[in-house]
Amino acid sequence: MSWAAAASGAVQLVGGLLLSPFLVGLVQRWKARLQGRRGPSPLQPYRELRRLWGKSAIDVEGAGLVYRLAPALAAGSVVGALLLVPVASEAPDWGVGHDALALAGLLALGRFAVTSSSWDVANGFSLMGASRDLTIGVFTEAALVLSLGVAALIAGTTDLAGVIGGTSGGEAWTSPALALAAVGFALVVLAETGRQPIDNPDTHLELTMIHEGPLLEYGGRDLALLQWAASARHWLVLVLAAQVFLPHASSVWLQLGALPVVLAVLCAALALTETLAAKMRILLAPRLLGTGAVVAVLGIVAWLVEAP
Amino acid sequence: MTGAVLVAGAALVGAGGALAVLRRGLRTGIGAQALGCVLLAVAGFWALLDGAELGPGFTSSFEPRVGVDGLSAFFLGVLGTIGSAALVFALRYVSADGRGRAIASLTAAFLLAQALVLAARDPLTFLVAWEVMTLVPAAVILVSRADTAARQTVFVYVALTHLAGAGTWIAILLLADAGAIGDPSRVATGSGLQIAVALAAIVGMGAKAGLMPLHVWLPRAHPIAPAHVSALMSGVMIKIAIYGLVRVLVDWVGVLPQWMGVLVLALGAFSAVGGVVYALFQHELKRLLAFHSIENVGIIVLGLGACLLLRARGAGEWAAFALAAALLHTLNHALFKALLFLGAGSFERAVGPLELDRLGGLLRRMPWTGGAFLVGAMAIAGLPPLNGFASEWVTLQSLLRVPAYGGIPDGVAGAIALAALASTAALAVLCFVKVVGLVLLGRSRREPVAAAVEAPAAMRAAVVALAAACGVLGVAPGLLFGPLAGLAPWASEAPVTAGLDLPSTGSLPTPGIVLVLVLVVGALWLARGARVAAPAPTWACGQAVEPQLEWTSAGFTKPLRLVLEGVLRPRRDVAVTTEHGVVQEVSYSGHVPHLFDEHLYAPATELALAGAARTRRLQSGRLGTYVAYLIVLVVVLLSAAKIGVIG
Repeated sequence: MSWAAAASGAVQLVGGLLLSPFLVGLVQRWKARLQGRRGPSPLQPYRELRRLWGKSAIDVEGAGLVYRLAPALAAGSVVGALLLVPVASEAPDWGVGHDALALAGLLALGRFAVTSSSWDVANGFSLMGASRDLTIGVFTEAALVLSLGVAALIAGTTDLAGVIGGTSGGEAWTSPALALAAVGFALVVLAETGRQPIDNPDTHLELTMIHEGPLLEYGGRDLALLQWAASARHWLVLVLAAQVFLPHASSVWLQLGALPVVLAVLCAALALTETLAAKMRILLAPRLLGTGAVVAVLGIVAWLVEAP
Repeated sequence: MTGAVLVAGAALVGAGGALAVLRRGLRTGIGAQALGCVLLAVAGFWALLDGAELGPGFTSSFEPRVGVDGLSAFFLGVLGTIGSAALVFALRYVSADGRGRAIASLTAAFLLAQALVLAARDPLTFLVAWEVMTLVPAAVILVSRADTAARQTVFVYVALTHLAGAGTWIAILLLADAGAIGDPSRVATGSGLQIAVALAAIVGMGAKAGLMPLHVWLPRAHPIAPAHVSALMSGVMIKIAIYGLVRVLVDWVGVLPQWMGVLVLALGAFSAVGGVVYALFQHELKRLLAFHSIENVGIIVLGLGACLLLRARGAGEWAAFALAAALLHTLNHALFKALLFLGAGSFERAVGPLELDRLGGLLRRMPWTGGAFLVGAMAIAGLPPLNGFASEWVTLQSLLRVPAYGGIPDGVAGAIALAALASTAALAVLCFVKVVGLVLLGRSRREPVAAAVEAPAAMRAAVVALAAACGVLGVAPGLLFGPLAGLAPWASEAPVTAGLDLPSTGSLPTPGIVLVLVLVVGALWLARGARVAAPAPTWACGQAVEPQLEWTSAGFTKPLRLVLEGVLRPRRDVAVTTEHGVVQEVSYSGHVPHLFDEHLYAPATELALAGAARTRRLQSGRLGTYVAYLIVLVVVLLSAAKIGVIG
């Protein structure tokens, strides 16, 4: 294994497992600043995780194994996804491959675990969030597969390390295909991170919750795992946005060097979107994401027109 | 050797069927059938891996002969696997009275007819076995249930599979006439014969497979058969139709023009999305499962369509992978659908009617059956690390290769099919979260459900074995994928590894993924620790949690129903009764109508009945009229002969 691959593997592990809550903290901080508040420190998510880890979990009356296993399964599937998504065009194989389409399956596993747990506790508010999350997930998954599909067509492989290499440099941007896919993926980022205008991460009103809904009954270590999983999903989609759907260098060292800057810019963009956009009516969100999927299909058409 | 085992297996199934007729021989007979199926499964998969051809090859002449090649062997393996599980289940499921004995022996006839379709090497045997395979389940349903609704369902089933099934006859007889059965060189690419055969096969065999819009018999017939026969119908019979489609479209008619591939892809995408969307709005478990069979046949046909398109583009390697993806999903769907139908049968035996809103909590009451059912639900939802995920992954990959190797029209078709499959997978997750939640989790919602007891050992063993098979094929799908890719008539090979390591993909090392998931989830589970607080009640904004607050199937799918309102046209009726200006009662009902029934089949039926009424006027019953008919006929014939149109 080359030094570049080792460094990329280190960034992948340390960044995904440890630094992802920092991204969430950054968005929170900057959002507060943009709204004229001082806001918490970017380290606040770590403090919350520490506090939750020190508390005991809650067992809801009547709930069983599925409720208890869901946080571990949600976090476990995200760990699988973190190992699967490389941060540069060279990356060590952690034994799970680097396939773009396998990523969709792992994300779906986490969603299945968390939403099933809502049925186990039979909480109406949880179920409301679960059913919305799954409905929006239908359109998110189509947009995710299609936009990654465009990038895979450009690169000639669905290997994500190969995709990062194949979309690097200026050449990929000479046709509109990747730009169209980027529009589709931007909406996936908003949906997977649970941001406005699709979801509101700061809501405390049960009736408007989507991602937070199924988490209502959890506490202690269970909640810590679920919150960590949510922040790790930020890392996953933002890394993909930075290294595939935004212009990036073809050298591994430059990719790794630019990553923190681009991630910070993307966090700022999320904070700005959250400040500017109001939350949509819940039933308009699928329409927005469906539009994203259609734009990604147009990306494939654009690729076909230009293809040799 | 393999041939002898296959013959022995079939003979055991037959003997078991005969034995089951006897008053004393019921359980022995079913046991013998199960053993025969095990032999069929072992020999079938062995012949697939071995690559040997047994018996004579295909002929276009009408001399009965049987033989087995790789494709037949694979489907015989599927038949044997599902058959053995279904029969072990039937050991305790079938009642010991006359009705049960009749069902048990008809099951053997059903299995043998399907095996004969697979082994037939001439048009006569194929068509005869095909018809018997269609009729026997109708007989089973009629034996098991005597009500009018069941009789009407059987009528719809037989009528539709025969009307559309004429396509099968047309396709096979045209091929036999051209001498093209087993000899694709007789059919030229783009010739009228090729198109006619392919279209007839798609209609005839597509109807039998449950492809939309010829699917309406399936959600009616599958739920009312006895559980083990439902499992055989959904798990195996519709797969025999897939066998027919693969045989005709891939093996016998040579390379099809691209637009045929696009047509097959479109039918697959339509069935996949349509099947799962209608499944979502079902309120009865078995009917929901039947709609999912339509969805999964759609996924299989998507793989088949990708295979045809890639083959037409000369991308042989990926065309073979697409075919293998379709075949792998055929086996996978057979496994988890049989598991789910058998599980539903156990639930029905334990608690009565399977209305989704009135079950709940069965995972605790029936841990074995419920646990296996949970595995099946996750597998059909295409979740890693189970088998459905692996085959859906390869199908997605094959669809992505359609634009990669194609021109603009078929490339766009591939892109849309890709979107359709991605959303189908997510819709299936939504649907099975609902099913798992309403059936297995939460609190029991009525008396008999709260007191349900676990199924007898044989019924338990069958579902647990199928769940284990789903797990094994999820960990090591590559062991079968390689040989399946080798079944393509053009030379092709795939590496045989446990995972799926295909060129120009990021590869799917399933064992690695399973290992990571098991280790991480296990570690986190331990880290959750023993520090568990005292139990707390469910949060309902401070209210007491009452049964009236329980969520329903309709509630859970409401967001999607509202999003798709324009397409599905759901109905809702609200009736408000007021007395002296005070509201006394509000009654609400809503449902999602099956638009195919209302807008396609109902007008067609009315048209046919009106036509029949017109035609009946010819039959006046008066002798004079009939004499007049005869005179007109003779005059017409004579004048036709005179001007030389005939004779």
